[in-house]
Amino acid sequence: MGRLSLRQIPYQNPILVGTFVFALILGAAIVGLVTYHKRWGVLWREWLTTVDHKKIGVMYCLIGLVMLFRGFIDALMIRTQQAIAVGPHSPGYLGALHGYLTPFHAGQIFTAHGLIMVVFAATPLLVGLMNIIVPLQIGARDMAYPYLNALGLWLTAAGAALVMVSLFIGNFAHGGWYGFVPYFELPYSPGVGVDYWLWAFQLSVLGTTLGSINLIATIVKMRAPGMTWMRMPIFTWASLSANLIALTTFPVLMVCLALLASDRYFGTHFYTAGMGGNLMLYNDLFWVWGHPEVYFLILPAFGMMSEIVPTFSEKTLFGYATMVIASFAIGGVSWGVWLHHFFTMAAAPSVNSFYSVTTMLVGIPTGVKVFNWIFTMYRGRVRFELPMMWAVLSLFLLLVGGLTGMMNAFATNDYMWHNGVFVVAHFHLMVLLIAASIFGSVEYWFPKVFGFKLEARWGKAFFWCIVLGTGWVFIPMFLLGFAGMTRRLDYIPYTQWGPYLRVMLVGMGFYILAVAFFFMHLYVSLRDRAKNRVGADAWGTSRSLEWMTHSPVPAYNFAFVPQVHARDEWAWRKEQGVADLKSGPYRDIHMPGNTGVPFVLGALALALAFALTWRIWWLSGLALALCVAVVIVRAFAEDTDTVISAQDVERAERRYHDGEVVPMEEPMGRPTPRPAT
Amino acid sequence: MVIGQTVKKWLRFTYGIPMLFLNGCAHSGLLLLEPRGLLSDTAVHYFTLDVGIMLLIIVPTALLAIWAMWRYRRGGRGAYRPDWSHSGRIELVVWGIPLVTVAVLSYLSIKAIYELNPYNPTILARTHKAAGRPLRVDVIATDWRWLFIYPRQHIASVNELVVPVHRPIRFRLTSTSVVNDFLIPQLVGMIDVMPGMRVKEAMVVNKPGHYLGFSADYSGAGLSWMHFDTHAVSVAQFRRFVAAARSSGRGLTDTGFNRFARPFIAVGGARQVFGRVQQGLFGHVVREVMRGKVWRTPMDMTENMVRYMKQQRAEQNAGEY
Amino acid sequence: MSVMSRSENARSLGLWDRDHEGHDVIGTRTFGFWLYMLTDAMVYAALFATFGVLSHVVNLAGGPSPAAVVHPVYAYGETVALFVSVLAYGGAMVALKAGNKAALIGALGAAMVAGGVFLGLAYSDIERLFHAGIVPQASGYLSIFFGLILYHALHILVGMVWMLVMIVQVMTRGFTSNVVYRLINLRLFWHFQAVIWVFVFTFVYLQGTVL
Repeated sequence: MGRLSLRQIPYQNPILVGTFVFALILGAAIVGLVTYHKRWGVLWREWLTTVDHKKIGVMYCLIGLVMLFRGFIDALMIRTQQAIAVGPHSPGYLGALHGYLTPFHAGQIFTAHGLIMVVFAATPLLVGLMNIIVPLQIGARDMAYPYLNALGLWLTAAGAALVMVSLFIGNFAHGGWYGFVPYFELPYSPGVGVDYWLWAFQLSVLGTTLGSINLIATIVKMRAPGMTWMRMPIFTWASLSANLIALTTFPVLMVCLALLASDRYFGTHFYTAGMGGNLMLYNDLFWVWGHPEVYFLILPAFGMMSEIVPTFSEKTLFGYATMVIASFAIGGVSWGVWLHHFFTMAAAPSVNSFYSVTTMLVGIPTGVKVFNWIFTMYRGRVRFELPMMWAVLSLFLLLVGGLTGMMNAFATNDYMWHNGVFVVAHFHLMVLLIAASIFGSVEYWFPKVFGFKLEARWGKAFFWCIVLGTGWVFIPMFLLGFAGMTRRLDYIPYTQWGPYLRVMLVGMGFYILAVAFFFMHLYVSLRDRAKNRVGADAWGTSRSLEWMTHSPVPAYNFAFVPQVHARDEWAWRKEQGVADLKSGPYRDIHMPGNTGVPFVLGALALALAFALTWRIWWLSGLALALCVAVVIVRAFAEDTDTVISAQDVERAERRYHDGEVVPMEEPMGRPTPRPAT
Repeated sequence: MVIGQTVKKWLRFTYGIPMLFLNGCAHSGLLLLEPRGLLSDTAVHYFTLDVGIMLLIIVPTALLAIWAMWRYRRGGRGAYRPDWSHSGRIELVVWGIPLVTVAVLSYLSIKAIYELNPYNPTILARTHKAAGRPLRVDVIATDWRWLFIYPRQHIASVNELVVPVHRPIRFRLTSTSVVNDFLIPQLVGMIDVMPGMRVKEAMVVNKPGHYLGFSADYSGAGLSWMHFDTHAVSVAQFRRFVAAARSSGRGLTDTGFNRFARPFIAVGGARQVFGRVQQGLFGHVVREVMRGKVWRTPMDMTENMVRYMKQQRAEQNAGEY
Repeated sequence: MSVMSRSENARSLGLWDRDHEGHDVIGTRTFGFWLYMLTDAMVYAALFATFGVLSHVVNLAGGPSPAAVVHPVYAYGETVALFVSVLAYGGAMVALKAGNKAALIGALGAAMVAGGVFLGLAYSDIERLFHAGIVPQASGYLSIFFGLILYHALHILVGMVWMLVMIVQVMTRGFTSNVVYRLINLRLFWHFQAVIWVFVFTFVYLQGTVL
C-alpha cells in the first residue's frame, strides 16, 4: 500500500476528529435524504451523467460553495490562532506551545486556505457561471464540447475531493499555497502533504484547461446568426479574454508542478539548491501562471459587474468598445508582470523597473473600467437591488484594492512589505471583489437558472455583514502591514501586533454572521419560492440574450435559435415591441446525450492522484490504464446524440407560457432517447 | 465578567484605529512608517509621494461614483437618458488620467528602484561618500536561526546584529536550506536569502537604538521564532562588542557550522557569540550547498513540537550546538 | 413611426432562425484541437525555457557536459524516422481525400512503423546513456535533457496508439464525420510533434554538440 498505513489517520487530533464526525453526519444525512426521497436514479440520470451546460455550471458552483465554506473555516482558525498566540507568555493548548495549532498544523491550514480559495472556490464558481451564462448570451444550445465540459467538471471535483481526503488521511502541504522551493523538496517536506497539494492542484489545472478550450471554442464557433463580434455581450467578451489567459498559462503551471513532482518522485534536480538545479526557476514558472490567473479570476468578475450595472441603471453600458479593449489590454499585460511576485529576489534594477512599470500599466485599463461603470450610472435610473448592491461593493473594493495594488507595483514599496500582511490584505480585497461580483451575479442570474428570485431580507443582512466584516478585518490588517507584520506566522513574536489581531476577530464574528445569514437566505428563498417566481425577464430591465428564453431555462435553451440584430438584443426587441417568446411551429432539436464516462474518468483520476500521493504503484498503474481504456472505448461510441421531438418542445413551451412551475432537474423532453440519424 | 472586559478591551482598540491616523504615527507601532535608516527613510519618502499622487485620483473618483449613484438613483434629480452611452471627450479623459498618472508613477518608481538597489544603492553613494570604509557583515540563515559573521573582525553572533550608527553596512546573505527573507522594518527592506546563492544588501542606521528584525519568507516550523535583534550603537560601543565577542573564546569552524546548521527552533531566543570564526566560512557554505549539501528536516519534528523542544533543549545542554 | 409598424419592421428582419442546422461538427472539433495544440505548445515552451535556464555550466554540477551526452548519429536517425512517418501520414491524408480506405490504412501503418523506429532509436540512445551512468538525477542539466526528450517520446507513443485506434475505426466505420475529424486532428498532432522535434534537434542536439 505504498506509504499508506493506519497510523496515517490523525485520530489523536481532536479538531480533525470533530471535523470527521461532522462530515460523517452530514454525509449520512445527505445519503439518507436521497434514499428516503428515492432520488438516486434522478441524481445519476439528471446530474452526475449530464452534459447540459447549465447543470454542469450549477454543480461547479456547488463545489465552489462547499469549498468556500471549508476555506472560511480555515480562515477562522488562522485568525483565532494568531489572536491567541501573542508573545512568549501566551497559553498553549492541544500540544501547541502557543495557541492551539502546532506550526505543522497551522502551516497546513493556511496552505489549504489559499489553495482552496483560489483554485477550488473562486475558480469553480466563475467557471460555473461562465458555463451557465456564456452559451445563453450567445444564443447557443450548448457548449461546443458538452462531453469535455462534463470531464472538466469531474476533474475539478476530483481535485477538490483529494483536498478533502487529506483532512482525514495523512496531512496536507504546510508551506503556503503557491509552494516554495526548495522548501517543498523532499528533504524539507518529507511527508505526503506536498504530494496531496501537487496532485490536487494538477487535477484542477487539467480541468480548467479543458474548460478554457471549451469556452473559447463555444464563443468563437457557436454564436447565433447575426451576433457579430461587436454585438457580443460584455460578459462573453470578458470570458473570452479570461479563457485565453487560462489557455495559455495553465499549461505552464502544469509544467511547473510536474517538474517539482519529478524532483520529489524521481530525485531529479530541477529546483534543488545544489546539483545544478535552479530554485528561482520555480518562481518564474509558477508566477507566469500565477499572475495571469489573477486576471483569469477578475476579468469575469468585471464582466459580471458590466452586466449588472447597466441592468440596474436601466441604461446602455457606457463605452462598450473601450470595455472590450480594456478587457483585452488587461489580458495582454497580464503576461508581462509576473516578476513583481519576487521583486525582492535581487534582480537587477533594470529588471525590477521594467516589471514595476508593466504592473502599473494594468492600472490604466482597470481605471477605464471604473470610469465606464460610473458613466453608465450617470444619466441612468439606478435601482439598488441586491445584485446592484454587490456590484457597488465590488466597485469600491476595486478602488481600495487598486490603490493598494498600485502601491505594491511601486517596487521600493514592495521591498518594505513584500512578504508582509499588507500584501495579504491587498489581495484579499481583490479576491473579495471577485467574491462580491460572484454573489451579485448569483443573485442576478439565479432566477434565470431556477425560475425564482432569491428573497431580499436575509440577502441584505448577508450583504451588510460582509461589508462590516471586510472593513473590520482588513483595515487592521493594512495597519498591521505598516507595523511590519510578516505572513504565515503561527506565533506572534512582537506583542504590539496583538491588539490589531484581536480586533480582527470582531470582524470574523461578522463573517460568521454573514455565513449564517447566507444559509438563511438560501433556506427562506427555497421555502418561499412560489412567491418569487419570475418569467423570462426576471429584472424587467435586462438587456442581453439570456433573458430571451424561459426561466428556468429549458434543456434546449432556445426553442429556435435567435436571430441577432443589435448589441443589446433583448433591450432592442423590447423597444421594437417584439419581445414575445411564442415562436411555433416547433421542430426536432438535436442535443448531446448524457453519458457517465466523464464521471467515471473523474473517479479514476481521483484514484490515480490518491495512489500517486501515497506511492501505491499498482493502483496508480491500474487507474492510469483504466483511464486510457475508457477514453479509447468512448472513442468507439458513435450515437452520442439524442433528439428532442417537436411535440416535446411544443409541450414544454406551452407549459412555460401557461405559467406552470417547471423544476430545473426535470428531464425536459427526453422521455424516449433515440439515436440521431 | 472576564468576557465583558475582554470585549471592552477589543472595542477600545477599534476606537483606537481612527485615532492612529489622527495622531500620526509617533507611537503606533507602525514600524514601516517610522524609518530610522537612510534606505528606509528614502523608501518612505517615495511611498508618501506615491500614495499622495494616487489619492489625488482615487478620492475624486470615489466621490464621482457616490455622486453619480446618488443623483441618478431611481427617483433622484438626475435626468434619465437611457440611450446615452458614448462620449469621445469623456473617453479621452478616462484613458488620459490613468495614463498620465501611471507615467508619473513609473518615473518615480524607476528612480526609487535605482536609489534603493540593494547591490548598489545610489542614494548611499550620494550621501555617504566620506563615511569611511563600510562594515561588512555576512549573513547565513539556517533552519531557523540567523548567523551574523563579521569577516574582518572574525567574530559571529547568532540572532543578534550589532552595528555602529551612521556607518554604511554591506551585507552578503545566503541560506543553508530554504529561502528566507531578511527584514528589519525600520532600517532596511526585504531581500530574499537563497541557498547556494549570495545576495547583497546595504544599510545605514541613522539613530542609535534597538530594532526588530524578522525572517519573512516561509521556511518551516521555526519561522515564527526566527526573529532577531538589531542594536545600533556608537562606534565605541561597537568596539566593546567586538572585543567581548573575541574574548568569549568560542570558535566556529566549517565542521562546527555543520552541527550548528541542523534544524533548531529558537524558542526563547538563541543568542550566542563566536570569537574565532574560520576565514571564508560564508563562501564555504555557499559552495557546499551548491554541491548538494542538505540539512534535512526530520519527518516528525514539527508534528509534536513540545517533544521536539525538549529534545532540542537536552542536546543544547549537552553542548551539542 | 408607430409602435405597430416598428414591430412589423423588426419582425420582417426575422427574429428566430427556424432552419438552424446546428454547428458544423468537423470545423468545431478541429478548431478545438488547434486550441488544445496551443496548450501543448505552451507546455513545450515552458520546457524549452527550463532547458535554456538549466544549460549553463553551473547546472552541470560537475557532471557530463552536453557534448558528452548528445549523440548526433542517434538524433539523425530519429529525425529521418520521424519525418518519414510524417510523410507517410501525409499520404494517408491524400488517401482520405480520394476516399481510399485500403491506401489510408496502409499509410497509417507505415507511419506507425516509422514512429516505432523513432521510439526504438530513442530507447537505445537512452539505454546507452543510462549504462554510462548519465541519469536524470545526476545534474540539473540532465534532468531537463531527459525531461524534454521523454516528454516528446511520450507524445510519439500516444500518437501511435491513436493511429492504431484510427486504423480500427476506419476499418469498422469507414469515413464517418467522427472518423474524419479525428484523422484531421491526428494529422495536426503528428505534424506538430515533428515541428517540435526540429526544435529539440536544434537546441538539444546541435547546440549540445558545440557546448
